[in-house]
Amino acid sequence: MIVAAFPQFFAPYDPLAMDYVNLLAPPSAAHPFGTDNFGRDVLSRVLHAYTIDMQIALFATLFPFLFGTTVGAIVGYVGGATEAMFGRVVDAVITFPFLVLVIAIVSVLGPGLMNMYIAIGVVGWVFYARIVAAEVKVQKRLDYADAGRAMGYTHARIIFRHLLPNAITPAVVYWMTDMALAILLGSSLGYLGLGAQPPAAEWGVQIADGKNFMATAWWISVFPGIAIVITGLGFSLLGDGLAELLRGRR
Amino acid sequence: MTLTRAKVLAAAATVLMGTTALVQAQERGGVMTFGRYADSLFLDPVLNDANVDIWILSNMYDTLLLPTADGQSVEAGLATDWSVSDDGTVVTLTLRDGITFSDGSPITTEDVIWSLDRARNPDNGIWNFLLSAVSEVTAPDDTTIEIQLSQPDPAILPALSVFNTAILPKDAFEAMPGETDLEKATAFAENPIGSGPFVLESWDRGSTLKLVKNEHYWADGEDGEKLPYLDGVTFEIIPDDATRILRLQSGEIDGAELIPFARVAELEADPNIDMELFPSTRVADIILNVRPELDGEANPLSDEKVRQAMNYATNKDAIIQVVTFGVGTPTSSYMSSTTPLHTGDGAVFPYDLEQAQRLMSESEYPDGFSASILTLAGNQDELGIATALQQMWSQIGIDLEIEQVDNATRTEQYRNGTFQMRAGAWTNDIADPSQITSYFAYSPTIDALHSGWKSEEVDSLFEASQSEMDEETRAEQYARIQEIYNQTGPIILLYETPYPVALQQNVKGFYQIPLGNNIFRETYLETE
Amino acid sequence: MSLPAFLGRRLLQLIPTLIFILIVVFVLVRLLPGDPASAILGDRALDADVERINRELGLDRPLPVQFWAFVQSVFTGNLGNSISMKIPVTQLIWERLPITMLLTFMAALIAVVVAVPLAFVAALRRDRIADSAIRGAFQVGLSMPVFYVGLILLTVFGAKLRWFPVGGYGDGFVDQLYHLFLPAVTLALSLSAILMRNLRSAIIGVVDAEYVTFARAKGLRPRLILFRHILRNALISTLTLFGLSIGTLLGGAVITESVFAVPGAGRLMIDSIYGRDYPVVQGLTIALAVLVSLTFLLTDILQAWLDPRVTR
Repeated sequence: MIVAAFPQFFAPYDPLAMDYVNLLAPPSAAHPFGTDNFGRDVLSRVLHAYTIDMQIALFATLFPFLFGTTVGAIVGYVGGATEAMFGRVVDAVITFPFLVLVIAIVSVLGPGLMNMYIAIGVVGWVFYARIVAAEVKVQKRLDYADAGRAMGYTHARIIFRHLLPNAITPAVVYWMTDMALAILLGSSLGYLGLGAQPPAAEWGVQIADGKNFMATAWWISVFPGIAIVITGLGFSLLGDGLAELLRGRR
Repeated sequence: MTLTRAKVLAAAATVLMGTTALVQAQERGGVMTFGRYADSLFLDPVLNDANVDIWILSNMYDTLLLPTADGQSVEAGLATDWSVSDDGTVVTLTLRDGITFSDGSPITTEDVIWSLDRARNPDNGIWNFLLSAVSEVTAPDDTTIEIQLSQPDPAILPALSVFNTAILPKDAFEAMPGETDLEKATAFAENPIGSGPFVLESWDRGSTLKLVKNEHYWADGEDGEKLPYLDGVTFEIIPDDATRILRLQSGEIDGAELIPFARVAELEADPNIDMELFPSTRVADIILNVRPELDGEANPLSDEKVRQAMNYATNKDAIIQVVTFGVGTPTSSYMSSTTPLHTGDGAVFPYDLEQAQRLMSESEYPDGFSASILTLAGNQDELGIATALQQMWSQIGIDLEIEQVDNATRTEQYRNGTFQMRAGAWTNDIADPSQITSYFAYSPTIDALHSGWKSEEVDSLFEASQSEMDEETRAEQYARIQEIYNQTGPIILLYETPYPVALQQNVKGFYQIPLGNNIFRETYLETE
Repeated sequence: MSLPAFLGRRLLQLIPTLIFILIVVFVLVRLLPGDPASAILGDRALDADVERINRELGLDRPLPVQFWAFVQSVFTGNLGNSISMKIPVTQLIWERLPITMLLTFMAALIAVVVAVPLAFVAALRRDRIADSAIRGAFQVGLSMPVFYVGLILLTVFGAKLRWFPVGGYGDGFVDQLYHLFLPAVTLALSLSAILMRNLRSAIIGVVDAEYVTFARAKGLRPRLILFRHILRNALISTLTLFGLSIGTLLGGAVITESVFAVPGAGRLMIDSIYGRDYPVVQGLTIALAVLVSLTFLLTDILQAWLDPRVTR
């Protein structure tokens, strides 16, 4: 992790430097992860991608998580007409094909990571909102919520101090999964022709770039793949740990 | 690299000699399955718009003349004889005896006149320009067609071999339901009747398109019986390159088109696969917007010295290695070397960084500038070219930003002339240099690739060449056009590539002509 | 509330959603740069041809007029003709959407069959080897791009072992199920990981909560405890997540369809967006919206059945 956080000190090469003599070189002492089809050092690219992929994982999911849980908690607590209206919004957002939306946003606002976050955010929050709303609805029927009302707490306090901490666990667990999925989105969109900006190294795009070489130069896509698995495992352990922590508060 | 070059030459030789050179005995029967990257859209010869249609149409619809296998000239099709009058204004053709459509009805002069009139109607489709010189089509007798031209047209014979001049049955077409030509064509294309070697049997859109043998086809095979040898051709749509290859390797299909260059060497080494590289008219280049101002600012690309510096700083061999894995060759002109009247030998601007730096320092932008290039998102070749150029041009102070967009977005910026640079590729539709030249260099058509480039001399040379019937004079005109355009034009010359098609070893006699048409009429499957 | 009344209300609620989607999709496709004619004609297009073709398509009319025509076409059930393929959009949807539906259904089934039992094992053997192994394996599955997994499955089980066809779509129902198996597994991979992780965490939460302890104290048999209490309570958020995921799967199976050469609606959608084939994008969006809404309805009913408190 430390190595990856400061790629400039550890990466053996410039991740963008091309070497037309050493195209598709297999892993060796000089290039431990081999080189890609431009002769770029795969190890350096995997290390340099860490920062950008962390950004993607965080920024693509943070807003949906915060906004979605808040909306979900309120809607689940208030219920009634608000909930019915919310239901329509959720339906509309989630039934609208994601790809149409992404292509529209990227075409109109231009390509780039920021616009990718916007596209993901517009849809992503719904997942959190719906999960939390369902949980809150269950929680508010339980005794302790009634107790809160009896004691004359404000709605806001009941929602955010009492209900949400208990209802948020599935959202947190999903959030951590979502982070891994966000990193992969780069490769999916790249496959469909909606990639991030080259030549910046990014794991998802690196895997997509290596697709033509799966048989002849597996190292182009396998090493970034391993990086995603390790990072994803980290997120998932973090998520489970957070879940335990939240439950412990009860 | 040498291996693939040799393979191109070998493939060229095979095609040039035609299938008659094959020593094996042709076998009959069997259905060939061919994996395509995308499905056809609309099987009407006149109203179609895309290569996915064009490249298979000739298997269903026959034309008066046929392109030769090398794509350089024409041979007999539905017409057996043809001649152009001395003044170049009348084309006389003799229809073949006893020819019929796939439903058995005879092909008459009435069908020919109607088909050509439909093809040249300016309200129909986008290909009518190919017949723009035609003023009237008549039939003096039952087997003769006379085409009157308003002015001589040196490209008229190749035009009669292009897909949009296919002959369709007038009565059957007009009996279709619908008011407009489009509605009738839509109904007709569901169950088309043509006179090509095959007939459409069924079509599950996005999945499979089945052609069966046309029992009424006129041409004879090597064994003295009627072509085609195959009972049918089935096109399977397999959009993913890797899956298409995997399906071929596992024997589920007999051929696969558009093999990524990255995998050509691997398949050449596969003893079960016949990796073919058919000579093509495809050229790849970078189009530069050379208008003096862009977005209200002075445009560095309008400086001829800058453009030449960029051309010299472009290491074509490295790009060919990185992007085409050695399969391509540097272009020696804006048109491919397979285009008639092409001139040139070797790269116009051989890689020379010092020369590039010198030119740059002499230009109005000695310190360089930043610019952006539009590439087609998801297209690995274009992305590879742009990524390599980004590196190469940084040596002459150009800071290149790559912008990946989808096709429609790019086309809009392109047509509006608001783009800065874009990656481009071109394939001819006719065996004549006039189409590519009209788009690339003749400013009235589309402002020379929407670049804003204009040369009075090129414009007048092109206009003169359009009615020049003397082959030698026309060749001189084209030599001069190429000289001017290659040296000062709005493009970075890159490379030309063949069509990569992978086949099972037992598939014989299949070829793709340089214009892209897939020809199955002489294809057969050998049984061990 | 009785089930018919609940159903009726939910179906009525579909109407505003659809109207909203009708407007959004109409506006959005027209916001995209470029127009159908130049998208199809590409670089060879002459300005005059582009203008003529867009005029023939009625795209030079004022937007409100075009929108009204679109609304009328939706309510008459005739969604217009595809611009690039010229055939009716309804025919295209009818040919392609059921394939995607079948694929999604199979994927969902596989995901549930795999995820639910393993989530129980992992949760009840928390922090032991079985738990770590299950979580690790799912994490690997989750971290692989769909096309990568697809190609590996095709290479191993198709080309090498020859257990399954190398992509394509068969003739006849049984053959089609056979062809769709590998794509469904691919599609199920990330869904099952999401479900497993969510359900595992939920089960742990329920097990830890007091009411299971109470139930045990009342002397119920352990198996009953497991199913009546744990499953019911744990499934609430999992089911929500499941419904949402199915929605995205229906519209998002594009990559799987491309890799396995399955002629489904996802591929049609992306080709139509790139081709600016407005009627197809619009029609398909509406059809998908109806389908996804019905899926939501189904999960809501299931949820109401699992936890009657929700609809009370």
